[in-house]
Amino acid sequence: MDFLLELLQILVFPGILFAIGLAFVYEWLDRKIYARLQNRVGPLYTGPSGILQPFADFIKLLAKEDVVPNEVDKPLFNALPIFALTLSLTGFLALPIMDLRGVISFNGDLIFLIALMTLICIVIMYSGISSANRFSTVGAERAALQLLGYEIPMMLSAISIGILASSMWVYDIVSIQANSLWFLIGPGILGFAIFVLCGQAELERIPFDIPEAETEIVAGWLTEFSGRKLALFRLTKDVELLYLSGLAVALFLGGPSGPVIPGLEFILYPLYFLLKTLFVLFLLTTLRALFARLRIDQMVNFSWKYLVPLAILQVLIVRVVV
Amino acid sequence: MQEEELQKTEKKSAYELFFDIPVGPQHPALKEPAFFKFRVEGERVVGVDVDVSYNHRGIERALEDRNYIQNIYLIERICGICNVAHTLCYAQAVEQLHGKEIPSRANYIRLMVEELARIHSHTLWLGVAAHEIGFDTLFMYVWRDREVVMDLIEMLTGNRVTTAINTIGGVRRDVSDEAKDKVKKGMNILEERLKYYRKVALNDPTVNARCSGVGILKPKDAIRLCAVGPTLRASGVKNDVRRDDPYTLHDEVPFNVITFDTMDVFARVLVRIDETLESVNMVRYCLDHMPNGDVRIKLPLSPPVGEAISRVEAPRGELIHYARSNGTKNPERYKVRTPTFENLPSVSEMLTSKSDYEVNIADIPITLASIDPCFSCTARMEFRDVSKGKTWIWSLKELKAHCSKSRR
Amino acid sequence: MSMLKEIQKSLFKKKATVLYPFKEREKVHIPEGFRGKIVFDRDKCTSCLLCARFCPSGACEIVTDEKGKRPIFHLELCLFCSQCQEVCPKGAINLTEEFELAAFDRKAFTIR
Repeated sequence: MDFLLELLQILVFPGILFAIGLAFVYEWLDRKIYARLQNRVGPLYTGPSGILQPFADFIKLLAKEDVVPNEVDKPLFNALPIFALTLSLTGFLALPIMDLRGVISFNGDLIFLIALMTLICIVIMYSGISSANRFSTVGAERAALQLLGYEIPMMLSAISIGILASSMWVYDIVSIQANSLWFLIGPGILGFAIFVLCGQAELERIPFDIPEAETEIVAGWLTEFSGRKLALFRLTKDVELLYLSGLAVALFLGGPSGPVIPGLEFILYPLYFLLKTLFVLFLLTTLRALFARLRIDQMVNFSWKYLVPLAILQVLIVRVVV
Repeated sequence: MQEEELQKTEKKSAYELFFDIPVGPQHPALKEPAFFKFRVEGERVVGVDVDVSYNHRGIERALEDRNYIQNIYLIERICGICNVAHTLCYAQAVEQLHGKEIPSRANYIRLMVEELARIHSHTLWLGVAAHEIGFDTLFMYVWRDREVVMDLIEMLTGNRVTTAINTIGGVRRDVSDEAKDKVKKGMNILEERLKYYRKVALNDPTVNARCSGVGILKPKDAIRLCAVGPTLRASGVKNDVRRDDPYTLHDEVPFNVITFDTMDVFARVLVRIDETLESVNMVRYCLDHMPNGDVRIKLPLSPPVGEAISRVEAPRGELIHYARSNGTKNPERYKVRTPTFENLPSVSEMLTSKSDYEVNIADIPITLASIDPCFSCTARMEFRDVSKGKTWIWSLKELKAHCSKSRR
Repeated sequence: MSMLKEIQKSLFKKKATVLYPFKEREKVHIPEGFRGKIVFDRDKCTSCLLCARFCPSGACEIVTDEKGKRPIFHLELCLFCSQCQEVCPKGAINLTEEFELAAFDRKAFTIR
């Protein structure tokens, strides 16, 4: 029975199916809020207020012709979209949603979660290089450079929370925040800001959408992907958005914890998770609407001049508090 | 830079790190077909090769087959955005052939619509520029507020873009008092919004980061490469046809020639925003000082034999039309020189890295956009063998070779 | 930070988009004197053929019917410049404010 329950958890709730469904809804919300901030309407006609639009886009792309150019590295080119999706879904499984611990949960899983994000970026790099396209190559190069920029402050801010909880286990971090309101908003606030900014870079959204900057290098590393592969990459991006906001919630906003009525945890926990991730999503979307795209050198500059020192400061603050 | 020079740079490189990035004929940064081949070393641009000979429409030849009235509507379609400037320039040239002056009220209306079109063109450009640097929110806001001026143009002329208001001997529609009030209201909204966008451009850190110090064109180079319009003025050269060679009523209506001396894309943004604010004031002046009277004089269809040149400051720069009449109802020769064509050499200058400043791949779209390019009016010449149905284009080298052969 | 204020404002402002073809049709404001679909009055026409002479795009075809020569307007060629309306001495040609001219049938583009 336990095995079956676990399988159900991985496949349906809060596992893969839930992740994909929620990812589509979040993409819709992201587009809707972005449109709202720009005084537009956003998706409108597919489903009520266009809620099915991301899903419809996905289906449409699945049905499109899948072009594989002659010059590409075929095994890599075909496998990379699946790799990317697998990585982001795996990450989602480790997030605490129904419980204070995720479906996958082990001591030290924070390191695993951060490594996953870097791996996704490496997949992106490979997909750019394997495409054998000039725009893709430039995109891959930029993705790698950008990784050098945002990875260190992101890790530092995540690790500072680990130091705060004296553990590298997301479960420990969430429970310590669940037990004390001070840890929830106090020492981690700077880290949260850094994490959200770096998350924006990880997700390649304005102002850090440099690797796929449309007006400069067409679609960057995505240029050669079409049909099913593009659909999978888009889904990856959506799941990654969800995963990143979930991780920010788990690390800085106390995960799914909140005031609960005993016996109703299984409803209230996912509800709190949704509310908190929505808040992070709103922050991410507002950032997207607020700025112009930076140049790659400016991004790396910004990151090493401001984000890294601030992240170190965050670690110091945490050190003093503990 | 020409092909040979590009090859030279290849030989000079110690590392085999150069490769070419094609921008165009189809590229998200370009709204019209043109081809730019950039030689890059990582993110750094070391050379550029420009080819704009796509989409040759043969308008100058077509003008010779139509009568002077029909030509108004053909001239208008050289460029959709600056159609008012084109028809104005054409009408002036033909009136010059006739040797007639048009009524004063017509001149006021011409000037007003010209300035409204300038507002519409510059705000359009501001939105496009915001999109090129990835600032989609600003793009959406600017284009939303641009609707104000589009509605005014539609109300005054009967169409949003192709206005067809200028005609030979005056304008085709009068401005009613109600319309005047509406234009005044619209100008108040626009002034407020434009001042806000000026503030955004000056204060936003990312806009500053992307535009300052990018696409530098020194005044010396700008004059040497014959830059015109806002591109030239952003390099600090005070040059404006409206001031230097006043047409319609530009010597009466007060305005300032806006210049900036930072020579970069940022200066071009500010020049255009400030020029739009000047245009708002000029429209207001026209509304207040418009005399009563006729808006049009009747002129015969065929002008007398002669030649005429007229100049207009189009939103993109100086526009020159040349007309030659042989006394029939069709022009014998008509020549149009568009501002984008003049600005293209400056683009390759801006996009080539020098010892003191570097051009990144990321700077390409905004630098290209900074001259407000309109490529469909740049294709100048192509050859057509009617019997074989073949069309081809000669490069300068081939043309020279052909000339020296035929001379022998 | 002026951008942040504007963004906050538009979060609660009415959307600028007009949902034109599906909803809010009435909000599309067409001003007086808009140059739209051509209407032709056969009774006023005197067969002077000025419209065809000045039409810049050849959208005016001259045919002969029982009352003599008359124009037929092909909207697929028309530029909507209203030059024909301007030259018509009898006011037989008028450009209306109708602008929804898309059709599946080519015959719908021919104004008799």
